[in-house]
Parts: sequence; C-alpha cells; structure tokens
Amino acid sequence: MKQQSLNIAAQTLSRARNLVALVATAVLVSACSGGAETTINPVTSVPDATNYNGPAPATADVQAYKLNVWDNIQAEAGCGDCHGTNGQVPTFARTDDINLAYEDSNPLANLATPGDSRLVTKVGGGHNCWLSNDAVCADLMETWVTGWAGELVAGGGRTIDLAPPVPREPGSSRNFPVDPTLFATTVHPILTQYCAGCHTSSSANAQSPYFAEADLGTAYDAAKPKIALDDPSNSRLVLRLGSEFHNCWGDCQSDAAAMQAAIQDMANGISPTQVDPTLTISRALTIFDGVAASGGNRYEANAIATYEFKSGQGTTAFDTSGVSPAMDLTLSGDYDWVGGFGVTIREGRAQARTADSRKLFDMIQQTGEYSIEAWVVPANVVQEESRIVSYSAGATSRNFTLGQTLYDYTFQNRSSVTDANGMPMIRTPMADEVLQSTLQHVVANFDPVNGRSLYVNGVLVQGNDDVGGGNISEWDDTYAFVLGNEVSGDGQFAGTFRFVSVHNRVLTEAQILQNFDAGVGEKFYLLFGVSHLIDVPEAYVLFEVAQFDNFGYLFSEPHFISLDQNAEWTGIPLQGMRVGINGREIEIGQTYRTLDVMLDSTQLQELGQPLTELGAVFAAEQGPEADEFFLSFDVLGDNANVRLDPVPLAPPPPVDGDPVADIGVRTFEEIDATMSSVTGVPRTQPDVRATYELVRQQMPNSDSLQGFLSSHQVGISQLAVEYCNALVSDTTLRANFFPGMNFNASANAAYGTQAGRDLLINPIIDAVVGTGLASQPARATVEGELNDLIGRLTSCGGGCEAGRTETVGIAACSAALGSAAMLVQ
Amino acid sequence: MNTIQRCKSALLAAIGLTAVLASASAEAGPREQAKRMHDRLAGVPPTEAVLDAMEAEIANGNRTGAAEIAMQNDEFYNVTLKNFVTPWTNRDGDVFAPLNDYTATVIGMIRDDVPFTEVLSGDILYVADSSLGLPAYSMTDNRLYEELESRAINLQSALVRTTQSAVTDLPPNATAGVMTTRAAAEAFFIAGTNRAMFRWTLLNHLCDDLEQVKDVTRPPDRIRQDVTRSPGGDSRLFLNNCIGCHSVMDPMTQAFAYYNFNGETGRIEYTEGQVHPKYFNNDANFPFGYRTPDDSWENRMRQGRNALLGWDDTLPGTGTGAKSMGQELAASAEFAQCQARKVFRNVCLREPVDASDRAQVNSMVTSLTTGGYRLKQSFAEAASYCIGD
Repeated sequence: MKQQSLNIAAQTLSRARNLVALVATAVLVSACSGGAETTINPVTSVPDATNYNGPAPATADVQAYKLNVWDNIQAEAGCGDCHGTNGQVPTFARTDDINLAYEDSNPLANLATPGDSRLVTKVGGGHNCWLSNDAVCADLMETWVTGWAGELVAGGGRTIDLAPPVPREPGSSRNFPVDPTLFATTVHPILTQYCAGCHTSSSANAQSPYFAEADLGTAYDAAKPKIALDDPSNSRLVLRLGSEFHNCWGDCQSDAAAMQAAIQDMANGISPTQVDPTLTISRALTIFDGVAASGGNRYEANAIATYEFKSGQGTTAFDTSGVSPAMDLTLSGDYDWVGGFGVTIREGRAQARTADSRKLFDMIQQTGEYSIEAWVVPANVVQEESRIVSYSAGATSRNFTLGQTLYDYTFQNRSSVTDANGMPMIRTPMADEVLQSTLQHVVANFDPVNGRSLYVNGVLVQGNDDVGGGNISEWDDTYAFVLGNEVSGDGQFAGTFRFVSVHNRVLTEAQILQNFDAGVGEKFYLLFGVSHLIDVPEAYVLFEVAQFDNFGYLFSEPHFISLDQNAEWTGIPLQGMRVGINGREIEIGQTYRTLDVMLDSTQLQELGQPLTELGAVFAAEQGPEADEFFLSFDVLGDNANVRLDPVPLAPPPPVDGDPVADIGVRTFEEIDATMSSVTGVPRTQPDVRATYELVRQQMPNSDSLQGFLSSHQVGISQLAVEYCNALVSDTTLRANFFPGMNFNASANAAYGTQAGRDLLINPIIDAVVGTGLASQPARATVEGELNDLIGRLTSCGGGCEAGRTETVGIAACSAALGSAAMLVQ
Repeated sequence: MNTIQRCKSALLAAIGLTAVLASASAEAGPREQAKRMHDRLAGVPPTEAVLDAMEAEIANGNRTGAAEIAMQNDEFYNVTLKNFVTPWTNRDGDVFAPLNDYTATVIGMIRDDVPFTEVLSGDILYVADSSLGLPAYSMTDNRLYEELESRAINLQSALVRTTQSAVTDLPPNATAGVMTTRAAAEAFFIAGTNRAMFRWTLLNHLCDDLEQVKDVTRPPDRIRQDVTRSPGGDSRLFLNNCIGCHSVMDPMTQAFAYYNFNGETGRIEYTEGQVHPKYFNNDANFPFGYRTPDDSWENRMRQGRNALLGWDDTLPGTGTGAKSMGQELAASAEFAQCQARKVFRNVCLREPVDASDRAQVNSMVTSLTTGGYRLKQSFAEAASYCIGD
C-alpha cells in the first residue's frame, strides 16, 4: 500500500539552531542589546560535555552530531557509562573517535522524524532514563536529535507520512450510564477503602483525581477516565496497581485483579451500544490511531526555559528547553494534569528551586532583554493581582511578573526606572477586555530601549511603557521562578498552563505570530476510511484532532483525501457529516451536520480537499485511549441516509397558579395623571411638576398590591399635598372645584357648621371617590373621616390664625386624594 | 401653622385616611365594571359623563363599546401605552426612561391600528406634528421626544406617521420597525456584538428569553469565533450551556451585521455590504468558529423543540438583513401569543393563572391574528374579561 508523503514545515529546526548555538556562543561575546536591528545572539548555556581529544569530525554532519547529541548524552544522559569506548554495542557514546560514534549512531536516528528515532523511543520506553520521567527523557533526546537534523536539513522541511490506518468497523461499545449506581456498588467501594488516603479533596495528602471521594457524583466523574469498560484489564486503575505498583494495599497482582474484577462487574451491568445499522458510516479510529501532528514551526532560538507539561502525571513539570541547568518546577496544592499537555492549577503553584532559577538571572543579565511566552487559560475574569508567570520573592519584590487582574494581563519588570516591585506596571487596555477565560497566547517582552510590551494572540495590545526601558542590573538572583502564584502564596492564579517558555531575547512580532500560529498541545491527523462507500481508492476524511481540554476533543481542518496519488474523482456529494463516538452519533456539537460539498480531485490542497474551515468540540467519554470515533453521512456518493427531525411534543398545559389579587394600585404616572384629572390642576403646573419629578421614582412602578410599601405612600401623599395646595391656592380653580366655599373666611366661620364643612367635603368625595360606586369606600365613612380631620385642625383654642381655612382645605383634599380611593384600581 | 407644619398635617391625614379606605368593598355592577375598565385602560378615573356612558354600554352587553370609550381618553396613549412600551426600549426594562422614537412609534401604530406585525419590519416612524413647533426628528439626539414628554403634549393628537427612510439616512430596505429606531439602536446596537438586539427583541416581542429557546441539539456551525469553546478550560460548560443559546442566537444575529450605534456621534450606522468589525471581536478565542461574511440569517428554531413556537410556513426561514428577520419573528404564533399576554398582564394586573385566563389569552390571539393585528382590540378584550364581578 502506498503512502503519501506530505511535506510539512519543519517544526523543530529552531531547536537545532538553539543547541548548536549553545556551543558557539561560548566563545562569543554578546553585542550590546537594544536597538531596532538587534542581531539574534545564541543562548549561552553550554552542556558540561566531556573533553574530547580524539580525531576531528570528518564532516559537517559528524560535527552536528557531536554538538547536538554526543555532547549532551555524555554530559546529561550518561549514555557513555555503557555505550562508551569498548562498552556495549552500539557504542554511539564512545569518546575515542567521534567519527566511529557517529557511525554507530546513524542506525539509531531518524533525522526526518526525530521523534521516531530509536534513541528517543528507547529512553522513552524506560531504558535508563536519567530523569524521573521517561517522557521527559524522550523529549530531551528528541530535542537533541532534532538539533542534529536541523543542522542537516536547515532551510528545508520534514515529511510526515500519512499512513493508512488499519481498517476497523465501529464496534459496539459500553458507555458510562448517567446514573452512578452501578459504580457505587462495584468500583467505588474499593476506591473509598484503599485510595481515600490521597485521592480525596479532604485528604491531608490530597492528590487529584478525586475518585475516592465520598460524594458519589464527584468520584464517578473522576474515575471515568481511569476505567476502560470495554477492556477492564486496560483500565488505569488496574494498570497502576498491577504494572506500576502504585500504593498497593497488599500484593499488587492480587489488588490489580480485585480492581479488574470490580470493573468487570460494572461492565457486565452495562449493555453495549450497537451502531445504528441504518447509518452510512466510515471506518473507526481512536485518537492514538492517528498520525502525530504536534507542534508547528515554533521560533525557539533563545528559549532558556520551556515547559510543555507533557508528562501528564507526577509532581514535576520538566524544563525541556535543553538549556542547563534544567529549571524543573515542583507542583504543589490543588492541581490537575490536562490531557493533550497541560496542567490546571486551582489553588497551588509550580515553583522552581532558587538555585535553578538563577539560570534566568544569569542568562537574561547577559542580554538585558527577555520575553515571557505562555499559552494559558485563565479560569475566570474576576481574579485580581494573580501571578501567572513570576520570578520574584513575595508580594513586593520581583524581577518580573506576568499577571492577571480581571480582564487584563499585567506585566511588572524590575528595572532602573521602576521600583523593586516592578511598578508602575503595564496592563492591557481595560476597556478592551483582552483577557478572556479561554486559551490565549500571551507574550510579555522587555528590552532596555522600548521597555515592556504585551502581545495577546499574536497581536500587540500594549506597547506603551510610560517609564521606558532601563536596565535590569538591580535584579536579584535569589528569587524563585514560579507559575500560578506568588512565591509567598498571596497571588493565586487559577487557570490552565498549556505551555510556558522564557527567552533571553525579545520575540519579534513575526516570531510571536509564528509561535501563535504554531499552536499548542498534542494533535493527531485522523484518517477515517470511506473507500467502502465511494469508488475512490484509499479515500479518507482527514481531521486534525486534539484533546481540547480534560473534557473534550477538538476536531478541525476536515479534508477529503486519497492516499492513492493516481486516484481522480469528481462530482461526489458529501452532505451532513456527523461524528460518532463509541458506537453512536454524538448529539451535541455537530458542526458538520450542515456541511454540503462536492468532492473533486481538482480541489486538492496540502492535506487534500478542504471541506470547511470550521472546527467542532465534542465531549470526551471514556478518555482518549478508549474513545472510538467514526463519521456518519447523510449523503456520501450514492449513499443517502434520510433524516427527519423528530416532531417535538407540545408541553402539557401549565399547572394553575395560586389565585392572585385582581386589583392593584395605580403606578407613578397614573397617579400623577389621576390627581391632575381629579383636581383639574395641570400636570405642568410648576410646583406640581417639581414635586412629581422629586417623588416619581418613590411612587409605585408596579401595579402589584403585594409590592406596595409605606415609602410609596409617603411619595403619593407628597404629591397629593402639592396638587391640593395648587388647587386651593388658585382662586379660579378652587372656585370651580368648591362652589360656594369661602376660603377667605376664618376657619371657625368656614367650618363651624356641617353645611360649611360640606362645601369642602362633598366636592372632594365626588371627585376622588365618585358616586354610586359600590367598589369605592362608603361615602359616610369618608365623610366621617374628613369631618374628624377638620374638627381636629380647627381646634385652635383661642381662634385659628389667618390662612387656616386654606390649610384645612388642603389637608382634607390631600387626605382624600392621597388615599386608597384614588390609588386602588 | 407654617408651611412645613401644614404639609405634615396633610401628609399624616392622607396616610391615615388611606388605611381606613383600603378596606373598601369590591362588589361590581355595570357601573363598578365601567370604573375599573376605565381605570385599567386610561390609568385615570372617568368623568361622571363617561362613566355613565360606559355603564350604559356594559349594561347593554357591549363591553367592547365601553372599552372603546375608555380608550378615547388621552391618557390611554399618554400614560398607559407609554408605560407599557417604555421598558422594551432599554436593557434594564426601566419604565422611567424618557419618551423616545421606539415608544412613540408603537403608540402611533396602536392608535392608527397599523398591523402590529410591522413593528419589527416596517419602514415606519412616528414624529410630532410640525405645527407644534418642536425640534425636528434627529438621528443624533432624542430632544423631540423629551420635549413632547416634558411639555405633556397629548400624544393621541400630536403623533404623525412618517417613514424612517424619510427622516434618517437608512435606506428603506435597512429599516426594520422599532429595531432600527434610534432608541433601540442606542440600547442594543451600542458596542458589544449586536446579540443584544436579538435577545431583547426576543424578550420583548416573543416573551421568551434565551433560556427558553436554547436548544443544545442545534448545529453550532454558525457560532462566532468570540465564543470560547472551553470557558476556563472546561468544554463541558460550552457543550452543556453556551451552545444552547448561541446555536440559536448567532445565526439570527447575523441579520444585524451591518448595523452599529456610534456612541460618540449618537447615531445608528448602517454599512451595507460591510460587516461591522464588532462581529470579529475576540476572534482568536476560537479560530475555528464562524466568521461572519454578510448579513444572511437563518432561523434554526424552525427545527427541534422551538418548532413549537409556530413559525410561518409561507416564509422561507432564511434571508438577509434585519427586515426579513423581523418579519420572520413577527409572523410566528409566539409573537401573537406574546402580544396578547403582555396586554392581558397590563390590563388584568396579573399573568394568566388558570385555564380560564389561558383560554382568554388564546381567544385574544385568535382575534389578533384574524383581525389585522390591532392591539387596541386586544386591550378592549382584556379589559372586558377582567372587568370584575
């Protein structure tokens, strides 16, 4: 079967240049930094290579091997202990003749795909890894081999072979039930009995994932990725005991068997999901059946510390820059590793030893400039003064800090023009809300001329450093490098780190954009076979698939491709593509179900015929090792699967609510209009208008009786007084409203008789209460109240003062006008 | 007694009398029913003559006739309708907001019995009669309407109908009823992403918030790049929540791709054929998301559970621009149901609570849809139903 080689831009050539540069720089003195046209000087760390006194390298390639691989495996990896002169074959680490070592190393290296080199896979498989993590040894070895390859193929590219996957039908698969009852009776008891010492959030030695939590739901969610329902023996919960001897409570094999039996019991209780036979489906793949597409063409020539968070377990985040000394970080607190490379810190930090951190001081002091680069996912946009990447000693002492405050990234750098805390800081513009709670690429640059600047997602968002550059000679070499918090613990940043690198040169805009475009995380090309559906040999729908986070997969870059270079096709319809997982179509997130394209071999680009630029996110179910994907099509070629959206059922009629009052109160403007209508005083009367504006928002804005407050009544009464005052004070209005009433008479004369009082009371009641309305208060009751009021107000002892007649009139009017007789509707 | 003491006396008296009078009887004959009907429709009590006339109509079994008398009162327009509409014109649902072109246009449409379906699509605007000597309509300020209000000018007689395209620089095809009024633009097109216009239109004219129409089963292919698919590093949040609203909303909001409200100039902007940059805000949040190419929209609510909202089968469910999207919304059964419910709530002072109330609302919907979408008819029917007994 043929394979089509696709020429992909070299992703790691820069590493090669980096490592070569390490040695070269040992004899170079870096030029003064600053200025627009700064020449890139190489990193100045030198591996502590064994002195070599043998024959000179015969070719440039031998020299490249020596500089990039041989020096490192002598100094760091210690391969020479066994594979040295007269040692075990192959003697690729021999010290007597570099040319012979080179010859022995050639079969062990794949310079086209360094990651596939025997040198890499061997240490990655656990063969005398000199560090605590095999994957990190493999990464370092790959870095060295890539450096060698980079010298060889500088300026060119590397090839990736899109190998056809083994055809496999989507199998029936067991899926986790929503209800955790089965888990509760099988696996959970073992976990809570034997694993609760660490894997609970309340443990003194709390280690996530918290699958031994007493809370069933929490434990179930945490345990799912560790359980392989279709192959219990392959569950991490089993392997961890049986193969990795992780905290067994008795004999590891017996413990593993007990765990496997419990998982098997659980699996037996779940019916496998069968693939719907009516679907038009592709062949099936897991994510690891794909071709690795990790990384891109990153610019890393001056990276002096790099964290890719690949190890996925343990308490160490390894510095894989290849620049000695390795500034590994120790994780502490509440954190979780993230699938597809990354670590989430909720309440904790990742901190380097002070002695290792000195690497930053030494190497940045040499250049006077640096760049902090990070792919991060802030957990929220409410945290303040949070340290994302920091090289500091506490809340007020630092060399540099990239931080978060709400929607802003902040950047502090200690220099000759700032204080010891790097203040004043720069921050991204507040109004732009640049920081989002999503994966973002952030670069903080400092150089002595331009000072500080911040780039987010490849774009310069803050380039103005008001205090300018300055020098960093005041930096303190006793500080520690830390991610996710201040070293003193009072600057917690909750979020996910997918990648962090510190460079001892500023990254240029082009380099920043290059690194942003390269992306982050582990990616695979998945080839879903469809040749059985259409008459095209070796036909596939290609996706780039990545673990998006711990809970989902990202599918992107869909292409149609044939690995048969001679194949041609045209006019093949492809419509309505859905992604399936573990035997069934996924319900949520089907971006491609609206796809409608015509396949044509004349449309081929680098990865085949692009189907759309859109990506899709799907929920993870059993974890990347177990989740099996397939595609289904509404139409592909002559295959059609007619779908009809189900007709939704009408909801049942709502349940009757509690009875509610069928009366209410007038609202603010209704009250104003009503008072105007009742008294005849225009709403625009200046005093009335002024009072209305004053109390407008104090009066009810809802007609609900239940919402009526005493403060509302006070506002209403104020307005009533104002209307009545305007009415009684206006001789024309009052003459019309109170016919026969003499407001110029004394109070005792005006209100001394019932007939006199009635001249005041009756018009008020007629206007406010109305006549002949049983729904209003009884006329006699209102009359009684107003009579009593008048009586009280005219009991002046030795005679009322002048003006009391009007006052009483206003009071009686206001009492009625501001009452429920007016208010209730 | 000085002025303060005078006021105090009056205030205390008023408060005391309120407590006494709050326990009034609520028995209802035709006269009491007429009083309530007038109170509810006009917001003010009737004059004796009007009350007598309405009482007579009700006694003769003509409740609608009585309601029509009540709606002749100026305050039906100046107070009831103004306060009915004003909360729709701002994000806070603030009833104290100033009179504006959105409110005035709805009042005018109801007064003139303009089919209310045009409220989201018509080239329609109500301004003040030029004889009143008020400022002319301005695209950049609200002075005309604020003066109308501050001078307490009678809206029933003052408002005259015109078109948006006549007094603004919007071309006729860019007008979309109240959605393209200055007040709506200022509230919902300002800054942001223009999703606000869809959300508040849905809220105010279909009586549904996004929570009610969210549907996680719709394809997310039209969700824009600014919506993170992994909020805080957890894609479950997107797949369980965000996707439900955005898969419905984003394909509709695309209809507003050429609109913006410029906060500095204070005017609505329409750039035909040119998607406003706000549609590309935060486009690095999810680069594989949808990138808006034009103002074409698609109603994804026609499938799935939102099919129950009753979409008009004679319309295509897709189109370009705000006008056709407004027509799509206003032609739905949910739109008519919403108008009826809003009127019921306004007149009866409660939401429909039982089968009888719901039947009344349905009856009002039928009248509305078969009677030319005259909202005055709905007010009359609600007032007749909640007349009291």
